[in-house]
Amino acid sequence: MRVNGVDIDDTFAEAFGMSATGLVITADTARWARIAAVTMTGFATSVIGCGAECGIDREVAPGETPDGRPGVRVLLFGFSPDALLPQLRTRVGQCVLTSPGSACFNGVESPQRLKLSAGVRFFGDGWQTAKKLGGRRFWRVPVMDGEFVCEDTAGIVTDAVGGGNLLLLGRDRAGLLETTEAAVAAIANVGDVITPFPGGIVRSGSKVGAKYKGMIASTNDAFCPTLKGAVRSELGPDTIAVLEIVIDGLTSKAVGDAMRAGLKAVIATGAAKGVTRVSAGNYGGKLGQHHYHLKDLLP
Amino acid sequence: MSGLTVKLRQPPAMRLDLRGLIPSRLAGLSAADVERLALNTELGPVTVGEVFAVSGAAGDTITIETGSDRLDFVGAGLDGGSVIVDGEAGAYAGSKMTAGRLEIRGGAGAYLASAAKGGLLVVNGSAGDFLGGARAGERFGMAGGTVVVLGSVGARAGERMRRGTVIARGSFGPAAGSRMAGGTLWTEQGFGAGPGPLMRRGTLIGPSADGLLTTYADCGRHDLEILRILNRYVADTLGSLAPKPLPASVRRLAGDAATIGKGEILLVT
Repeated sequence: MRVNGVDIDDTFAEAFGMSATGLVITADTARWARIAAVTMTGFATSVIGCGAECGIDREVAPGETPDGRPGVRVLLFGFSPDALLPQLRTRVGQCVLTSPGSACFNGVESPQRLKLSAGVRFFGDGWQTAKKLGGRRFWRVPVMDGEFVCEDTAGIVTDAVGGGNLLLLGRDRAGLLETTEAAVAAIANVGDVITPFPGGIVRSGSKVGAKYKGMIASTNDAFCPTLKGAVRSELGPDTIAVLEIVIDGLTSKAVGDAMRAGLKAVIATGAAKGVTRVSAGNYGGKLGQHHYHLKDLLP
Repeated sequence: MSGLTVKLRQPPAMRLDLRGLIPSRLAGLSAADVERLALNTELGPVTVGEVFAVSGAAGDTITIETGSDRLDFVGAGLDGGSVIVDGEAGAYAGSKMTAGRLEIRGGAGAYLASAAKGGLLVVNGSAGDFLGGARAGERFGMAGGTVVVLGSVGARAGERMRRGTVIARGSFGPAAGSRMAGGTLWTEQGFGAGPGPLMRRGTLIGPSADGLLTTYADCGRHDLEILRILNRYVADTLGSLAPKPLPASVRRLAGDAATIGKGEILLVT
């Protein structure tokens, strides 16, 4: 169907169950909280190649953080709690502990917990101490600018969703990128989701498998515009570029809401920017537990 | 809020053990049932009805009218709901409580909140010695929960305390934090002589301390993140009972070096 000049495919995004945890990182200023968060969520675009998919969910106002300082909430997604734990520890240890003035708190309420402090607190070499306030324990690790405070545990959910997606097709690469950026910005206003790829956007969508031994994924040739005449292409004659937004969320509803927000942004201005079509990636519906039909998400 | 009220018929001639008078133990009982319950005293058992006039119905609040410093173990083992003492309470009030709120509108005796693990305990007057301390035969004292004393506190508060927070609007007596293993003692007026003897871990916070032990090392003035968290925590959990927020910079003294030395005294002036 066509909505406001943009064709919407009668298809669905296929997403998978994942485990997810979250942190609130605070610092003396919002800038330094964001620096720590950006560093910690780096190299975390795809769980296959990076071990985890991570991103910034939102900024947290000083009134909402445990220490009254500005903060940033980050979310981390992985295949399982066991797979996520080393990612969490390594990223906190290398990227948050090291960031000036930082502190690190649980960011997901859940009865199931990950041992957030295990590892990083031992950096204190015996000088670390704990302070339990109410039901929360905080570790204090002496560091060169004072103390690094890290909450003992972080909540983890095992019914999170990874791989919600939108494919945007266009006849103008610059206009397509601009529209996709607007969609990512709209998705950023939805809570409990991240878009883990660079700037929230993927230009190298993949298919499962490859002709080469050992490659578990390779370029999605059906959506590569330069191969239109050489392969069974999914693209029309006017499409010269395709960009994808991948969405991970703590709940299926959050992913659906995020896709709806992104779709709305694309439909609002996309046609004027050269966006011709919106599609979604799936594997025939047999691999992922979560299906998001585009027709159900239209504004 | 439903509740039961017990009122002393006359000032008690002996010490009374009230450890059974908590909402969870009296649930479903009528006032007459409660009057038939046995109480231990130093002179042998009596019934509740012999000592107290009981009114109302058992619910989530028990009010003890006309308190006395001979009422021991008030709110001991409290695990939910509220116990209010409209007057003085004796020793061991709130010991081993795990949840709920115990409010003592007068003063409290020794061993307040001994071995408490949770809940909120508020004393409008002053509290005796060994607040949060370990009783004879027990390894640790207070292990959780929050105590707010609007008056002052006696000697050796926090004796072998392990976790929890004790806040006094007044001062702490001598040797506060003695052999402490964790937790926080916070005074708005100051500590008496020799705070923190043999303190292993834990935090003492106050504007001043008399006769600091030589086994404490001055670590200088610092902006401690944990104090921001503590400020936020007490503001959120105590509301109007919360003390004034701690300043950004405090003087940190580490000790007691006579033991493992991982405790601290934070002087806020």
